[in-house]
Amino acid sequence: MAKLEEVDSSTNLQAIHDRNLKKKRMKENLTGYAIISPWLIGFLALVIGPMIASFYLSFTNYNLLSSAQWTGIDNYVNILTNDGRFRQALTVTLIFVFVSTPLKLLFALFLAMLFNTGRKGTSVFTTIYYIPSIIGGSVAIAVVWRILFGRNGAVNEFVQALGFSGVNWIGNPDTALSVLILLVVWQFGSPMIIFLAGLRQIPQELYEAAAVDGASAFTKFMKITIPLLTPVIFFNLVMQTIGAFMTFTQAYLITGGGPMDSTLFYALYLYEVAFEYLRMGYASAMAWILLVLIAGITLVFFLSSKYWVYYESEGGR
Amino acid sequence: MNIKFGKWFLVTMLVFIFALVGCSNNSDETSSPTENDENDSTEETGTGTDAGPEDVTIRVAWWGGQERHDRTLEVIELFEAEYPHITVEPEYTGWDGYWERLSTQAAGSNLPDVINMDNSRLNEYYANNLLVDLTPFIEEGLINLDDVDDVYQDINVFGDEVIAISLGANALGISFNRDMAEEYGITFEPGYTYEDLYDMMLEIKEAKGDEEFFGFDLANAEYEMFFTYARQHGQSVYNAEGNGLGFEEQTLVDFFTWVQTMVKDGAAPSHDITMEYIDGGNSMLQEGSAFAQMAASNQIIGHAAGTDYELGLNILPTLEGGEHGNWIRPSMSFSISSHAQEKEAAALFIDFFTNSLEANEILMADRGVPVSQAVRDHLAPLVDGPVLETFEFLELVAEYSREADPLSPPGETEVRGSFLRVVEMLKYDRLTPEEAAQQFIQEASAVLN
Repeated sequence: MAKLEEVDSSTNLQAIHDRNLKKKRMKENLTGYAIISPWLIGFLALVIGPMIASFYLSFTNYNLLSSAQWTGIDNYVNILTNDGRFRQALTVTLIFVFVSTPLKLLFALFLAMLFNTGRKGTSVFTTIYYIPSIIGGSVAIAVVWRILFGRNGAVNEFVQALGFSGVNWIGNPDTALSVLILLVVWQFGSPMIIFLAGLRQIPQELYEAAAVDGASAFTKFMKITIPLLTPVIFFNLVMQTIGAFMTFTQAYLITGGGPMDSTLFYALYLYEVAFEYLRMGYASAMAWILLVLIAGITLVFFLSSKYWVYYESEGGR
Repeated sequence: MNIKFGKWFLVTMLVFIFALVGCSNNSDETSSPTENDENDSTEETGTGTDAGPEDVTIRVAWWGGQERHDRTLEVIELFEAEYPHITVEPEYTGWDGYWERLSTQAAGSNLPDVINMDNSRLNEYYANNLLVDLTPFIEEGLINLDDVDDVYQDINVFGDEVIAISLGANALGISFNRDMAEEYGITFEPGYTYEDLYDMMLEIKEAKGDEEFFGFDLANAEYEMFFTYARQHGQSVYNAEGNGLGFEEQTLVDFFTWVQTMVKDGAAPSHDITMEYIDGGNSMLQEGSAFAQMAASNQIIGHAAGTDYELGLNILPTLEGGEHGNWIRPSMSFSISSHAQEKEAAALFIDFFTNSLEANEILMADRGVPVSQAVRDHLAPLVDGPVLETFEFLELVAEYSREADPLSPPGETEVRGSFLRVVEMLKYDRLTPEEAAQQFIQEASAVLN
């Protein structure tokens, strides 16, 4: 009897203990949610909410001034089958993404390797080279760039001094896109910093061992640096590709999409449709198409990664 | 490292993608910060005292540069002194941000009481029931148009509704360098034709002997120029119903041929040069590297301020055997929005702008030549230089004008964009005039239908 009671009270105790623990956990959870609530509310109200609205609007005809009218998938059909400028914007953007991203990464890697030698003062240079990434999208840089590459700009002076005839780099439909690619490649700061961090994680013993075996600098680079850096390369590649798809400011400020739509980036065309022509429904549909496109390309990168990205901790895979 | 890395990476990427769609979507969240102010003001109205008229607050929106902002704010002070029960909350920006702001306010049913309208947007706002018919206020005498000739209000009248009041008149013209005309013995006077313009420009270019000098800067205003050209042929850019184009293909082909020849033969600068000046915020006319350029008449005030040359205004070329193509139009207008709470106070404000001599002494025809005869007479002895030039020019244009076309249909912004793109390709010699005309007509018809 006494034993039974004991058991009883002990299960009781256990239950009370459990309840207390649950309470405590809930309290902890609540505190956690409270702490992240500013971000959470912002995320729900400013990101998820507008996203849902934009998804709905992409099936409507909406000009901001009057209420939206349901048109079904008309917007999507028109964009994909009937919009020459959409195709132009897509072409320009794809060229831009697939030229500027590799160039930028190569440049960033090259400089990261230079700064990884551990010589005195490299951190100063790292900082200096990071500056373009901060100011690259500003109006001031846009103006400087326009003057540099204008008809009588410094670039033409230089080209003419070499004996070639100058070009109006920004006003010529064949060269305008290259000027913007150059500007974006010049903003290599953030991938450079990430590469630098990646390089510093590579164990020195590997290089020492290779040196003992008589490997040349090139072999060391190809057989040690690149394989061990692939996770970082992968990260940079994905981030920079996504960023490149959404490039807007540079084209908006410097060329306005011209001449002859040769720098009509996707985001710029989207902006034009939305805020100049007030076709919000159409623009929303364009945004969703871009989202699918970016998601698709990112997925391809992820699927391909198992063939070329090596993680040290997975034993070479 | 990699597991954590991958997780964080995914999260970051998701956020990025979400942010992208979030950004590109409609911008309800950016809608006006003044919303609260307006609510406050309506509450105040309710608690007004019985002595005298109730205290009210109206919001007034306009675009412009610093100079215009200063002048307008000064007039608002004057207005508040005259009507102590009305408080004016100004909302002003540059041209670029103005329409974005206004359309988001429209989406939030929160338009200011008095809004500055441009001819190109008037129809769009009217068609969406965002503007109030001003006829009752005019009949009541709150807005006094006794001194205003009908011609100035022509395009602001839709059927029997008046939807805006002109803030000043201007006309399309050519701003030119008087000093240069004298130096090279060019008589640049009304009555010259498109061919004459071509010849004159080449003549000056030759006399100048400067490779970097071009006679006539089209200044990205080919669309406006064609407006006049079509009218000279007895046609118009849009049809009367506003659901299609109103000119013959050949008219556009002829115009494009003229433009292309001007550029090809060096009588006008190539497109990239024109755009370099526009993007850089200066003009060839001011610099003396062009003899003349397309301009709205009140633009000469700004041009003259930035150059040592003496500038003059001339009408556009005439078409041999054609009709008058010019017309006098509001350079901009004030409307009362349908979201306005205090329509009568808003009407008083518009009246003050139109008729107050004191106010117009401050404004100094910055928004175009005042539409009230009494105000013009009052200002005439006070103005000089380029402002006087605009007064005289409007009298000149009146002799070469006929009544304005009806206001362009909603969608004009997009049609104009298409026109300029085609002209661009034409000037880069990537399209023939025939191809360009076809492409524009096809694109424009698609927008208007």
